[in-house]
Amino acid sequence: MVDHLPQFIIAGLTTGSIYALIALGFCIIHNSTGIVNFTQVDFVSLGGLMMYTLLLGLGLPLILAFILAVMAVTATGALVERLAIRPARSRAVIILIFITIGTSILMRGVFKVLWGKNQMGLPHFSGEDPITLLGATLLPQNLWIFLITFLAVGSLQFFFGRTRMGKAMRAVSFNRRAAALMGINVNLIVLLSFALSGALGAVAGIIIVPITTLSYEIGVMLGLKGFAAAVLGGYGNSLGAVLGGLTLGVLESLGAGLISSAYKDVIAFGILLLVLFVKPNGLLGYGDSERL
Amino acid sequence: MVGLATSIALFPLLVSNPYYLNVANIIGLNAIIVVGLTLLIGYAGQVSLGHAAFYGLGAYISAVLTVSHGFNPWLALILAALITSLIAVIIGIPTLKLQGHYLVMATLGFNLIANIIIVQWDSVTGGPSGFPGIPPLKIGSLSFDSDGKMYFLIWSVLFVVVLLALNLANSRVGRGLKALHAGESAANCVGIPTSAYKVKMFVFSAVLASLAGSLYAHYLSFVSPKTFDIFFSVELVTMVIVGGMGSIWGGLFGTGFLTSLPNILHYVDEYKDIFYGLILVLILIFVPEGLLVSASSRLRSKRNPGENHGRGYDAPTQRPENCLSCNCVPHYPFECLDLDIMLREPILRVHNVSRGFGGVLAVSEVSFDIPEGSITALIGPNGAGKTTIINVISGVNRSHHGHILFAKRRIDCLRPYEIARMGLTRTFQNVQVFDNMTVLENVMVGMHPKTNSEFLISMMRPPSFTKEEKEIRDRSMESLIFLNLEQSANSPARELSFGDQKRLEIARAIVSDPRLVLLDEPVAGLNMTESFEIADLILAMRSRGMSVLLVEHDINVVMRISDKVVVLNYGTKIADGTPQEVQNDRDVLNAYLGGVL
Repeated sequence: MVDHLPQFIIAGLTTGSIYALIALGFCIIHNSTGIVNFTQVDFVSLGGLMMYTLLLGLGLPLILAFILAVMAVTATGALVERLAIRPARSRAVIILIFITIGTSILMRGVFKVLWGKNQMGLPHFSGEDPITLLGATLLPQNLWIFLITFLAVGSLQFFFGRTRMGKAMRAVSFNRRAAALMGINVNLIVLLSFALSGALGAVAGIIIVPITTLSYEIGVMLGLKGFAAAVLGGYGNSLGAVLGGLTLGVLESLGAGLISSAYKDVIAFGILLLVLFVKPNGLLGYGDSERL
Repeated sequence: MVGLATSIALFPLLVSNPYYLNVANIIGLNAIIVVGLTLLIGYAGQVSLGHAAFYGLGAYISAVLTVSHGFNPWLALILAALITSLIAVIIGIPTLKLQGHYLVMATLGFNLIANIIIVQWDSVTGGPSGFPGIPPLKIGSLSFDSDGKMYFLIWSVLFVVVLLALNLANSRVGRGLKALHAGESAANCVGIPTSAYKVKMFVFSAVLASLAGSLYAHYLSFVSPKTFDIFFSVELVTMVIVGGMGSIWGGLFGTGFLTSLPNILHYVDEYKDIFYGLILVLILIFVPEGLLVSASSRLRSKRNPGENHGRGYDAPTQRPENCLSCNCVPHYPFECLDLDIMLREPILRVHNVSRGFGGVLAVSEVSFDIPEGSITALIGPNGAGKTTIINVISGVNRSHHGHILFAKRRIDCLRPYEIARMGLTRTFQNVQVFDNMTVLENVMVGMHPKTNSEFLISMMRPPSFTKEEKEIRDRSMESLIFLNLEQSANSPARELSFGDQKRLEIARAIVSDPRLVLLDEPVAGLNMTESFEIADLILAMRSRGMSVLLVEHDINVVMRISDKVVVLNYGTKIADGTPQEVQNDRDVLNAYLGGVL
């Protein structure tokens, strides 16, 4: 069992990377709007589904298919904001969250009609010849996942830290009204945050599908784990999202490998609950303290 | 109402198709859960995405006990409710400390875990393929084995549940839950045991879900894990929201609507999910207040335009003779102050209290007394630690060092609601009215520490409850009259002007006849006339026997009405004495005027 430890950790970091990307999407939208956007799970599915159609249906080259699929989901994210969130008459967080839940049901309904209920598959990016590293066997796809996640997180860091638009988004997350008064177009920022989350979800879906299977609801379970990861890290904290994603992935993988694969989610979520009971604002979160 | 009841009772006689009866039964079962969830989400403000798990617990415990262990179904139903409530307590105590998305995630996680256990533990639960052969419920020779018979059972249970829930919603406890929804810390300071209320409400809603689950198991004679997954939890909360979150009737309507919708959409088979999602989104976008709530408020405003406050208390137009508040600008010559007050026994002793936040020491070794029956002012420049002192006295923040005696008892280890119960209330610098309630209801919440009806009493409504409720109403109305707010008694509190909201807070703080009231900047942001009115009121409070600790920047008000002044600067006490003494103190002059004099 213990010999397989490196293997479990590699597997955990792989799914953990996916959770991290999805968690980042949840965080970005939370920071601009204060809500949990449950269509995030469908961004993941749609990424995989678009890739399937572009790559296998239209026969486009891998890189082109990848870029077009991400763009399509990015546009879908923006569309969700424009059609479902912006027209909402209420700004109450719970109403907006349930609008995203309704939209998610709607989107899955559309996917089911367009792509059917069957399981599909995508080829690995660059072959399936295993590589042995530190006693663990890796597929090239694992490396692709690490690399792309790393690039995505790095460019997000750059975007939020260095660019004008990224700084504007951070300003909105701290104080929406003050940001608006400083001349920042808050509506545009919210739109952008949905687009960006769409892109992140799509990337997560596209890179994981080759080693899992693809279906119209593949993103649901992955997305919920991504949500859990965001909460574990401290909701809204992007560093926390990455940390939460990797932690959850590794915990789940170790639970499955060392204890019981049937109860792996029980172990992962059980630990998540315990963490929250000790740190009610996640690993890296600080709570909002009420000012009296 | 009677028409609705008769049509519900006659429904099975009019409808012969068992399919419709089946849908009606499922609506009834869902409604039993949704009523509890409406109270939990709409009133107490705690969103749970885990109630499908409690529904499943009820169903599976009933199934296992009756089939595998031969229990009587009724006994199994009661045991299921007991076991579920125990689990709800264990889950609820740590979980309900969480807020917002963390609470949602934790309840969701619990639901996922419960569902996986049901699926995996197949030696007991039958695993993914489900648990068959559950016997029907029986009373004597009457066996509830058909859709029609079950209809009467389920809807009778629902009827009782709705009645109890309506009673609870319109009671001391219901108001307490709404207050905690609007502002948890503020509610706690007003005397509501917020943590206990959240857990009790959570447990009550879990027991209702378990009850519905047991009925479900005996009705369908078969249970499978799929019925109790997280998606059903989400659907249940959707029912609460779609009908109208703050109302039990809204929840019931939402349940009927969303439970029958998939059956109607059956005809568009393949596109069912698309339509379901679309209808849901459209309702939430355009009718966020909920279908029923929106329809009824539209109807009401058509009936009597310009008046939509609903039924409420008829505000008396005549002011009582002995009302102490008046509208003139008063004068308070120093000479008429009662200097003996300084020599009286203290009602509150603050001894060596320190409190830091992170690395900053906000208050350091501060000691002072508040003589009983006095108006003691706490002044100091911004950041001097005044509000921290108030927060420490009222239990919002713990002191790190030192102790506080109120009426000769230590209170520095008590929670805010316990302190409120001892007769120490407060107002807030950032106004904290409960904006989901009317003005009168806000003040009624203030009577919480002085009254006793808890959950069971509020649901059953014995004569003692009615009597207490009347007393709460009368006392609250008196308090509103005292503060000149009786005309707005039935308006929503959020519609009051800033100045009136400040008065409302005072009304709420004094309605329970506390021994000491902490007023945190009661005149900040008010104009001179309004300030003097409040000053007048504070004097009137003193003559009613209350002691007052007044934190205030307005030196005019402070010097005119205070018996004693305590001055803080940078977290330490620099002076303490009568207004004249303090005004001539060198350190005070330095702190306020920067040593120019």
